[in-house]
Amino acid sequence: MGLSTATTAVSEAIQLCVFDSRRGQQEGQELDKILFFYPADLPFTKQLYIIGLSEGLITFTRTFSPEAACEVIEAEKHSHVFFEAEQDIWMVLVVEKNKELEAIWRIDALQKLLKEIHSLFLMFHGSIRLLLEKEPTGEVSRSHLYSFIVDYLNDFLVGKKLQLPSFADCLKERGTVQMLTIGRDAALEVQALVRTLDSCIGNASCHSMILFQDLLVSTTLSPDDTTNLFSYAVLRLTPRVLSSGASSWSYLIRGNVSPHVAQHGGNVGNHVIRPLQHGKWSKGRDGFLETDIWGMEASGWVGSTPKIWFFQTGEQMCLYVHQHKNLTLILLVPVSSIPNGEQGISIVRQYILENASLKIMKLEEKLSKGWSGENAYHVGGYRYLLVDDDRQISRASPPGKVTTLTKESLLAMSKLREKVDLEKSRAKQDSDGEEKELEVTIRAKNNAWVISRITRGKELYMVLEKANETLLYASDMVEKFSNRYCNGAFSLD
Amino acid sequence: MSSGLSSLSSSDELDNFNPRTSPTTPPKPLEEELASLALTLPHPHLLSDQEDANGVSDGSEADSNGLGIQQSDEEMRVGEVCEENVVGNSASMVQEPTGGSDGAGVVWGRTNSEIEVDRPASPSSSGYAGERGSSSASSGRSEMDGVAEDEIQELRDDDASIGENSNSVPSWVPGKRHGDEDDASISWRKRKKHFFILSHSGKPIYSRYGDEHKLAGFSASLQAIISFVEDGGDRVKWVKAGKHQVVFLVKGPIYLVCISCTEEPYESLRGQLELIYGQMILILTKSVNRCFERNPKFDMTSLLGGTDVVFSSLIHSFGWNPATFLHAYTCLPLAYGTRQAAGAILQDVADSGILFAILMCKHKVISLVGAQKASLHPDDMVLLANFVMSSESFRMSESFSPICLPRYNPMAFLYAYVHYFDVNTYLMLLTTNSDSFYHLKECRIRIETVLLKSNVLSEVQRSMLDGGMHVEDVPVDSLPRYRTISPHLGQQRAPSEFPERFKESYAGMGGPGGLWHFIYRSIYLDQYVSSEFSSPVSSRQQQKRLYRAYQNIYASMHDKEIGPHKTQFRRDENYVLLCWVTQDFELYAAFDPLADKALAIKICNRVCQWIKDVENEVFLLGASPFSW
Repeated sequence: MGLSTATTAVSEAIQLCVFDSRRGQQEGQELDKILFFYPADLPFTKQLYIIGLSEGLITFTRTFSPEAACEVIEAEKHSHVFFEAEQDIWMVLVVEKNKELEAIWRIDALQKLLKEIHSLFLMFHGSIRLLLEKEPTGEVSRSHLYSFIVDYLNDFLVGKKLQLPSFADCLKERGTVQMLTIGRDAALEVQALVRTLDSCIGNASCHSMILFQDLLVSTTLSPDDTTNLFSYAVLRLTPRVLSSGASSWSYLIRGNVSPHVAQHGGNVGNHVIRPLQHGKWSKGRDGFLETDIWGMEASGWVGSTPKIWFFQTGEQMCLYVHQHKNLTLILLVPVSSIPNGEQGISIVRQYILENASLKIMKLEEKLSKGWSGENAYHVGGYRYLLVDDDRQISRASPPGKVTTLTKESLLAMSKLREKVDLEKSRAKQDSDGEEKELEVTIRAKNNAWVISRITRGKELYMVLEKANETLLYASDMVEKFSNRYCNGAFSLD
Repeated sequence: MSSGLSSLSSSDELDNFNPRTSPTTPPKPLEEELASLALTLPHPHLLSDQEDANGVSDGSEADSNGLGIQQSDEEMRVGEVCEENVVGNSASMVQEPTGGSDGAGVVWGRTNSEIEVDRPASPSSSGYAGERGSSSASSGRSEMDGVAEDEIQELRDDDASIGENSNSVPSWVPGKRHGDEDDASISWRKRKKHFFILSHSGKPIYSRYGDEHKLAGFSASLQAIISFVEDGGDRVKWVKAGKHQVVFLVKGPIYLVCISCTEEPYESLRGQLELIYGQMILILTKSVNRCFERNPKFDMTSLLGGTDVVFSSLIHSFGWNPATFLHAYTCLPLAYGTRQAAGAILQDVADSGILFAILMCKHKVISLVGAQKASLHPDDMVLLANFVMSSESFRMSESFSPICLPRYNPMAFLYAYVHYFDVNTYLMLLTTNSDSFYHLKECRIRIETVLLKSNVLSEVQRSMLDGGMHVEDVPVDSLPRYRTISPHLGQQRAPSEFPERFKESYAGMGGPGGLWHFIYRSIYLDQYVSSEFSSPVSSRQQQKRLYRAYQNIYASMHDKEIGPHKTQFRRDENYVLLCWVTQDFELYAAFDPLADKALAIKICNRVCQWIKDVENEVFLLGASPFSW
């Protein structure tokens, strides 16, 4: 079930567009603004309506708020969420509100989704503006955006419908990394392995990232690159993804979406890299993951080496992924320091197999032994989300446990988060350097305690459903949690 | 500015507005009717008795005042000398009706033009002077100055902070500000909170800042946004951009918009737009819609001519009057017997064909009585009191004015007889009968006699001086009557647990346990009582911030989809706020940000008990049933 066929039924429920307000400024040329529109088969008049409204409000709000233009339009039936991905390049997501279908949104969560799409796009394709400058007709940008975003949205497709993160996902934080907590012994082994990996090509500045299942064990990348690559790994590379989704997805891709993409990108004569396509990664016999996403080598036997762009330095890196059972290693080597094509690549692989294999096996064994399963981070009686904004790290109750909460509690938490989001963004705009300090404890109508604590860049959200009725009891619960699991970060003394 | 709205000069045309009084009269074109209502000027004394006109010492002075107003109105029409208009208007507003400070306002009006703009008003100078200074020179200034100007305004507000108890001339002066600005002015764009009323064809009707006529283009873009979204089959509620929020409200052919960076929640801003719309209905009734049915491009500004002061004082009250978001009214604290005495005489006259009889002191109710089955919505009371208090002419003499209570019947006019007994205390008698001026006047005389005899008016004066509940007076002793009212606000601990901490946090720092302020709303009575501001929230700015914090927590407690919540504890860098909603009451209490949680809970329980103990005095009990 590809997106293009699904659209007829739900064409109004969700719309997502990317447009460049520098383009198409002459009357009659407005279509040129549109770089991406989902659903693609929405009549142009309707597409232009959304873009016209968005541009109108961007201009209007700049009158009063030159430094931050329109972020949200909240109407009775729809929310329009804005994200200025690059200067004058806007992403606008329009979601229909529908209480019966549980379509109740938290704006910030939707904005983070847009941001994630763009960050991943940057990582694989570089900036949209740059693509537009290279190829002013915009066809290349359009075909890249089209396949990329559609592949991304495919993950949210449930039956015929796109299901974006709603209030029920209020105890998750997109754009953050989830870490594995490890003991001292394991940490030492990790360190040794990282040293080996990072020196795979002599003096070149290699970087590495190690994951255990869907959790981060170590990284030598910058926080932004870590977040992006981690998101990608969890979406497409980890053992869970490789073992589950691949087969069921592949027929969808071949069946429906591809022809559409071909129609968009085909006439460019340019190969469109689709790193988010499902079922494109597979594990080779030597433990390295193979893909033909980046095309095939001249020999026609092996796929070209995947490449990504670093967010801050803008450096292009070759991406090697090695997997041993639950352990995934990602190695990034500057493209410029790979000596000579295919040969250089096999040198890197050979180096890892020879020098790191043993360490990898030992570490995997150790981590697996200490791992207590998917509920490892469940804390009885609590449903929580812990976010470290500065380090872009989060930890939460396992999803299976969060679903036991009632709809009322989740809604109350989602609303509370919305308020907190607002206050955080204001505090940021005040830019007086003072970090927000906040403690909110609410007893909701259904008697659940809904709690939020913000302190020194750390955030704690908590729902206590089966709790004693006094406020002091709820505070004690938070205190205990803080002392036991957060090194007292949220404790009051 | 016209004062004509508040006093009826010729009642003939107005009868048409009340279908009940003369259904057979062939109706005139509505625009004409409304126009005649708005523009009938300037003889406030036509129906009033000169000897009875309490508070106007000299008829000729009042006349000359009226003349001054008219002049400035003409200047406005020319469209050039808007500042002068502000002066003329303000000068007339400052004038004391009791004659205590005769002429002072006029003198200020003249001298203020010399005040240096860059120098903020010193604490000793009148706030009014500061205002005048800032308004006269706003046009040619740099961006930075534009900001500073708002600060000047804040300072001036501070002067007014002492407020409630002092009988001094209020420093805040209602009326149009910065009338020379438009949407091209940077100073205009930087104003913290704009309010606009426009018609569905995009014609400006009211703008808090700037000249409506110059804002026609801006108004058209607001209209375009609303109708563009409507074209898409939806209705825009709000737009957010950085710290700014744009809130839209569509009421038939009338569009209302607020643009604000005050951090107030959407629900509050929307509520404020609803009140502004209500205020407009109070002046014109909803039958104004018919004008738009006949002529979509109808220009409504003339109908509201001279009512700038009413809107600006309502908007000002959004920053200090909890009634505007609590949807409840507050009473002046009085001994039970005193209030009973006032209620009895009001009831007495109400039986003679009066719909509502309301005795108020500023925005606080002394007593009120309604005819059988008639109920008065607290929002209507806010609007009515604002209308009366902001229109200077009501103070000049007894008046008889058509008004509409939007929650009671938005389609029809009632007639309000208004009379001030002293600077702050006034009586409003509402009737459906446009001919009953003399009857109401007699009623008023009877009421006045009784109020004087029973010392109600002097008790009112005393209560004004004493103020209401002070957080310092929260009982801290553990008398046997003490019990924990709330099971979930407090643990069942022994009442005498923190005796030494009570004392410690007490001295000069608000009430026990770091209590700074509270608001208690009785749900059945539709009334609230709030404490006086204690020393930690003594400045106007601190009070405004606290007020906004209350607004925020009120909105979050009363979320439409999931509310009301039962309890909320909130600690940020400014306060600890504790909020507690039950079936009977709501309590909002503000504490020192470092307050101890357990102690704060205990204090809240004490406050609730305290209010129960004194509810005879702080609430109007046994008033006619309010059944909305």
